[in-house]
Amino acid sequence: MKKSVLLSLLTLSALTTNAQEITLKGKELFGDLAARQIGPAIMSGRVTDLAMHPKNNQIIFLGAAGGGIWKSSDGGASFVPVFDKHIQSIGTIAFDPNNPDNVIWAGTGETWTRNSVSVGDGIYKSTDGGLNWTNMGLPKSDRISSIIVDPRDSNNIWVGVLGALWGDSEERGIYNSKDGGKTWNKIHYIDNKTGCSDLVIDPTNPNIMYASFWEFRRTAWSFNSGGNSSALFKTTDGGKTWNKIHNGFPSGQLGRIAIAVAPSNPNILFSVIECEKENEKGLYKSEDAGKTWKHLNNDFALVVRPFYFSRITIDPKNPDIIYKGGLNGSISRDGGKTFRNLGAMHSDIHDIIVDPIDTNRIYVGTDGGMYRSWNNGSTLDIVKNLPISQYYHITLDTEEPYNIYGGLQDNGSWYGPSKSDGGIEARDWNSVGYGDGFRVLKHPTKKIIYSEMQGAENIWRYNVETKELKTIQPLQEKGMAKLRFNWNTPIVTGLHNPDRIYAGSQFVHVSDDMGASWKIISPDLTTNDKLKMNQENSGGLSKDNSGAENHCTLFTIAESPLSKDIIWAGADDGNIQITQDGGKSWKNVTANIAGLPKNTWCYHIEASNFAKGSAYAVFEGHTKNDMNTYVYKTTDFGATWTSIVTKDIDGFARCIQEDYVNENLLFLGTEKGLYITVDGGKNWSKFENNMPAVAVMHLDLHKKTNDLVLATHGRGVIILDDISILRQVTNEVIASDVHFFKTKPFVKVENSSFGSTASELEFVGPNPSTSAQIVYYLKKRNTFGKMDMEIQDMNGNKIVSLPVSNQKGINIVTWDFNEKGPKVAIGKTLDYSGFTTPLVPAGKYKAVLTKGKDKYTQEFEVINDPKSPISTASRAEQRTTTKMLFDKVQNLAFMVYEIDEMIQLNEKIVSKDKSYAKTANKINAELNKLKNTMVITTGDNYVGSAEKQLREKLGAIYASIAGQYDAPSPSQKANIESVLELFNKAEAEFKKLEKTHLSKILEKAKKTNPEYKLKTFDEFIAG
Amino acid sequence: MKTLKTLIASAAILFTSLTSTAQTADEIITKYFENIGGKEKLSKVNSFKMSMVTNYNGMEIPVEVFNDKTGKMYVKINFQGKEITQIAFDGKTGWSTNFMTMKAEKLDSETTENMLSQIKDFPDPFLNYKEKGFKVEFLGKETKEGTECFKIKLTKDPITVAGKKEENVTFYYFDTENYVPIMTEAEIKEGPSKGQISTSTMGDYQEVDGLFFPFTMNQGGQAMTVKKILINPTVDAKEFEMKTE
Repeated sequence: MKKSVLLSLLTLSALTTNAQEITLKGKELFGDLAARQIGPAIMSGRVTDLAMHPKNNQIIFLGAAGGGIWKSSDGGASFVPVFDKHIQSIGTIAFDPNNPDNVIWAGTGETWTRNSVSVGDGIYKSTDGGLNWTNMGLPKSDRISSIIVDPRDSNNIWVGVLGALWGDSEERGIYNSKDGGKTWNKIHYIDNKTGCSDLVIDPTNPNIMYASFWEFRRTAWSFNSGGNSSALFKTTDGGKTWNKIHNGFPSGQLGRIAIAVAPSNPNILFSVIECEKENEKGLYKSEDAGKTWKHLNNDFALVVRPFYFSRITIDPKNPDIIYKGGLNGSISRDGGKTFRNLGAMHSDIHDIIVDPIDTNRIYVGTDGGMYRSWNNGSTLDIVKNLPISQYYHITLDTEEPYNIYGGLQDNGSWYGPSKSDGGIEARDWNSVGYGDGFRVLKHPTKKIIYSEMQGAENIWRYNVETKELKTIQPLQEKGMAKLRFNWNTPIVTGLHNPDRIYAGSQFVHVSDDMGASWKIISPDLTTNDKLKMNQENSGGLSKDNSGAENHCTLFTIAESPLSKDIIWAGADDGNIQITQDGGKSWKNVTANIAGLPKNTWCYHIEASNFAKGSAYAVFEGHTKNDMNTYVYKTTDFGATWTSIVTKDIDGFARCIQEDYVNENLLFLGTEKGLYITVDGGKNWSKFENNMPAVAVMHLDLHKKTNDLVLATHGRGVIILDDISILRQVTNEVIASDVHFFKTKPFVKVENSSFGSTASELEFVGPNPSTSAQIVYYLKKRNTFGKMDMEIQDMNGNKIVSLPVSNQKGINIVTWDFNEKGPKVAIGKTLDYSGFTTPLVPAGKYKAVLTKGKDKYTQEFEVINDPKSPISTASRAEQRTTTKMLFDKVQNLAFMVYEIDEMIQLNEKIVSKDKSYAKTANKINAELNKLKNTMVITTGDNYVGSAEKQLREKLGAIYASIAGQYDAPSPSQKANIESVLELFNKAEAEFKKLEKTHLSKILEKAKKTNPEYKLKTFDEFIAG
Repeated sequence: MKTLKTLIASAAILFTSLTSTAQTADEIITKYFENIGGKEKLSKVNSFKMSMVTNYNGMEIPVEVFNDKTGKMYVKINFQGKEITQIAFDGKTGWSTNFMTMKAEKLDSETTENMLSQIKDFPDPFLNYKEKGFKVEFLGKETKEGTECFKIKLTKDPITVAGKKEENVTFYYFDTENYVPIMTEAEIKEGPSKGQISTSTMGDYQEVDGLFFPFTMNQGGQAMTVKKILINPTVDAKEFEMKTE
């Protein structure tokens, strides 16, 4: 403790004395750099709690295990995220019954306490219907199970705090606030191991409440549910006194207890109880408000995994209809005597709510998203726009566009593209594994994917082309110690031998034939602590040996990019080991890390690209209730380590990514989001632009695109496109008023405009920008005074003006390579050609930023799409033809303008000299006749459209040619010829009419002197 | 050592709480009016017309916006030399142009009703906001656009959304150096994004007849650049009237 205070003081003084430090933090630096959330939503993710507005069944709030809070305003048809700034693990959501339109409460920290749960940081309140949220305290509550707002008084709030999962804590029990959440009092507390798992209120008498208390504890290697402290309590005086109501309860120790009151009859209570004896477990009913209890049922559906499923929902109108969360979810229509499963949906049902207005409509939260049903759960339909998927890990390949591979909590393994025509939709994702998915690897050169399920039960090798599927996990062999695999087993492909694959049990296994045969190249690298290997007896009152608690296993393996013989291995029990001779000898370097508490989980090792002896190691101790950040760097093969943690980082970290180019640019994934340093860890900035405060489990940086790809445990895959700008952020840059960043040549990507198939209720991940991005830094926001940007050719001729971005920090202005569009003839309708701009040819250009009197110029290059087969000659021909047609379109526009002007002038003269009317009408009739062949003068823009005239024919072929990259085809050329013939004819006719009439009209005009001035061609185009 | 650290921390808290309580919404608004040319000048504005350009498909599309204190307004866009009234309100009837037929059509009555309630916004919702029945609240400081800002919540008359009255709140971010708004946030009230926040930014404030107006704006991703602002222009009443053919 003393040491860390001293350390932070030292850092503080270092910061203040050295004025050259980069002190800009995220919100002042990152500006327009924004993350791209690409989902997927196809498998969605774990939903922990649902709440419906008591009077308006259009409004539903959804709490996700790791994906924040979402709001539906359309009866559950679709959802939007409303909690991105805050911690994303949600325990419970509650409406204030006195003001449900505006006041909503949220308790953070999931209460379905599986091994992979995230943490909470207190209770939040919104007073504007979920738009903004304020943390109202209980910062160490870790998990909040229940919130009740007194229906008589919005300021009176009771909160059930389950509390810390991984350690003792006194912040548990029932809390009450009498001042709307400003202050809290603990009104009922058992001990530092037992928390409030359910708190419910009598619907008719708010002085009556029921509270279940649960003794529970998780370690990295075991789980315990139950003890002597678990109990069910009742208060009849608004929480002042609490009495146990166990009359009829099972004997012995109790585990998790679920409790519900029938909304239509407050004397009827249901409770699901975990206890010692199998035949006493299950559903209990009281018909006298808790005085006595009767055991009804111990079906599997009622007793399964109480720590994960403990929700009873009673129909708002009928006390005999009861729903229970569980593996499949179940419903009783006879007051709990018998149950049947709900219809087909993703398994693991955590919450069920019933629409109080139409009780046939129910909503269900599962491990795989939210489902809605219109018939009490007989048939169900998944909500398709909830990208709350919980990735454990991701990897990338070298395809174009690259694919993202990864596994998810209870949702298998998938891969999908980083971009797709029309956006990244559900249909773009491919399933490549069952169960809980973790690491998915693409073979570096072959069309082969490796994936795995929990604890290496299976490691698959899947040939995407031939569809050959094999299991290749290392198997027990004669004379071999029993293999221990982590739930999330490390597998890694070789960087120096593409057919190589590593896997970690307590040993490092290596295969050089894609998993067909394996050899062990290490001794047991873990602490091999037998006390932590008793998973068979894990679970407490309900045995729970899923494999998720396997311990003393390797968790991370890293091969040095610089040498195949340097391999790092890190274990869940804290060990970190290195070999420098391909596994012949290993060195345990754990003890060399000063300040790292013993047995802190080694989550990720990143072997450096810059020096053989350099590596980063990220440790996290949250399974020991230690939420501190541990990130270290070594440059001497682990002999010494330096912490690169600063107080900028909030929460424990799991993973780090080193840039390939700039050694000082590092990315850190933490429980609460993404942090970036540009100075090797001296300063860290939280990245928050379109990046929720979600747990980041793994990071990867794509070598070609420089995209940073994040595996988040609750918001799917999030990409920070092209981070190369950050390589250039230095103290000099930050000190300058305006700085242009260097950019790679911009590619005129040849894209299809086809693709989209999704409805507006489905999630579609956005594609990366294909525009040219001009990136500059502003030391100060341009709030006063003029600032603009022009794109110019190298001779300084303006091509287009662009709207600027003017914030402090990094600004991005995009340009789609377009020149100015043509001025088209005015007709009755709009013409497509008027919306088609020619694109500039490949070459060098300038962006000129004008800020007040100062000009800043950046040159950049535009190149053609390297994957395009179109030749330079064809491109040149396309450009010439486009230019020629562009000019014709504008020439036609000018002719039509001149005709219109002549017609108007005639009319003006007539208005002053009626005797001229006959002549004028005759001339105008001739002019109109010609004009009618030049442009549409009747009809509308839809099916009332008139016959196409010259403008439309010319415009159509112009738009086609300008919109393509290739030279005009023979067919297009023939069309151009025919359109030009029409053009020439019209032009000749126009010239003839002009010659015959214009001088006469002007002569006439001199006498009457109407207001008239014909623009020149250039004036016409400019105006 | 520890005492020192606590001292520094509490001093910091004290300092920030002092400075933040020293600011009230009214002080910020008063300074804002001073900095953009004064309440008096602003009160003399009866109408204004803004000529802007917006980018569509890489092209600059001219847009003209007119507003006056009686609620008359129009937004005209110029496509291919054709001036199209995208939306207009004559103080009673709101209408728009159907892009298929190019004919004027009435806006739905709810939108018209909401336009009526927006008359009070002119020329600036903060001007005499109390008399208008609006409420303001200072919510503290936040960094937006890389810049330290005061966050002010402005609650105007409720608007009607799908038949129901809803609170009409906009959050304004006044930059702490210049005391002018550089960003606003408001809830999206309809469509698939309902319930989320839409953001607008404003910058490049420039002087027009002694008053300062933002010349660049970005509304929910759509950038607008102001070319010219006319204060108290003469505009033909026909511009607002719904055209019947």
